[in-house]
Amino acid sequence: MSNKPRSKLIHLLISKSIAEAVLVAAIAVGFYFVTSNPDLRGVLDVANTETVNGWAVDEARPWTRVEVQLFIDNEFVADKTAAEFRPDVHRARRADDDWHGFVFATPPLPAGEHEARVYALLPNATGTRRTLQLIEKPLRFRIEPEPTRLGFPSEKDGGR
Amino acid sequence: MSSMEYSKLESSEAVGDVIGDRALAGWEIASVVSSIFIAEWLASVAVDWARIAVAFPIGLAFVLSISSHRLRGETARDLGFRFDNFFRAAGLLTLPMIVTAIVCLAIAWWAGERIDFWRWHLSRPLAVQLILGFAWGFVQQYMLQSLVNRRAQIIWGKGWPSVLVVAAIFAGLHLPNPALVVATFVGGVIWAAVYQRAPNIFALAISHSLMTWIVVSTLPAPALHHLRIGFRYFGSN
Repeated sequence: MSNKPRSKLIHLLISKSIAEAVLVAAIAVGFYFVTSNPDLRGVLDVANTETVNGWAVDEARPWTRVEVQLFIDNEFVADKTAAEFRPDVHRARRADDDWHGFVFATPPLPAGEHEARVYALLPNATGTRRTLQLIEKPLRFRIEPEPTRLGFPSEKDGGR
Repeated sequence: MSSMEYSKLESSEAVGDVIGDRALAGWEIASVVSSIFIAEWLASVAVDWARIAVAFPIGLAFVLSISSHRLRGETARDLGFRFDNFFRAAGLLTLPMIVTAIVCLAIAWWAGERIDFWRWHLSRPLAVQLILGFAWGFVQQYMLQSLVNRRAQIIWGKGWPSVLVVAAIFAGLHLPNPALVVATFVGGVIWAAVYQRAPNIFALAISHSLMTWIVVSTLPAPALHHLRIGFRYFGSN
């Protein structure tokens, strides 16, 4: 193979590499925008033995209600629409109205440390796929062992 | 580097001095393989209209491949698009294909799998599916043999090293499907070895279609996982 076609082939290989690098970058950026919502705002306010609550707003479409899912210790617990009364969110100008809160009842859990995570459910344009986006940070909470009549933790609750 | 040396390297022809024959052949192989990996693992993640993104890396691989043949002065006959050696290639393929088919039947018998020669595509006549399998095999064998195998021969020469590299690349392109990785490695060894002795893409494409039919008809369906590869292996659509 002489030098001229060889150099053409090298240029072609370099051009192809650049084109593919651009494609991979475009796919990565596209994937980010398809699977996450940069306009999602929300806070997980409370997680305790009784309730897990907070609020979530899609700032690009503040008139819609965000669907949220509660996971405790990475196990799905429940889902609902964030449409509870939260006037403080409206007053803080994070939403157009008062109805963007969510309140989950904490399910019965064994004694010990637990972690609550609430995710916003993001459907794609055609509804064929859904992804989860974490709302703020997970919250940890502790469930104390129930005291027995003698004042010691029962074995049932204190096993772990 | 002095300015004189720099200007010398800048001239178009001097670029060709920078890289040797074997390195260039290796680069071509890596480039084509990376395009297919991008299509399998990244572009296929796209949904709906964005699936057209798969065509981009595949198209680039074909542009590179065809340009490479032209720049290297390779003829269609060199690449295996010919009929004069068809029966020689078919003869070389016959025994390994029979042995592989017997092994597949033995695996089906051992696994208690029901052998069904009609299950390749339930909503399509078998003859049509075999023709489509030939067309798909033709494309794969062209890329695998006419480019990868020929460039591997520039690096390692004819023989087992280049045959095994071609088979390993072919198997790697079927990750992460374990059954297909094994099946394509075996097929890759047979096809690459036959191509080196009698380069004929038509015979290889027929063999590809027939062997796919045998594998689909005999091996346990859960192991084949609908022949899915790349990122789609983990998905449901």
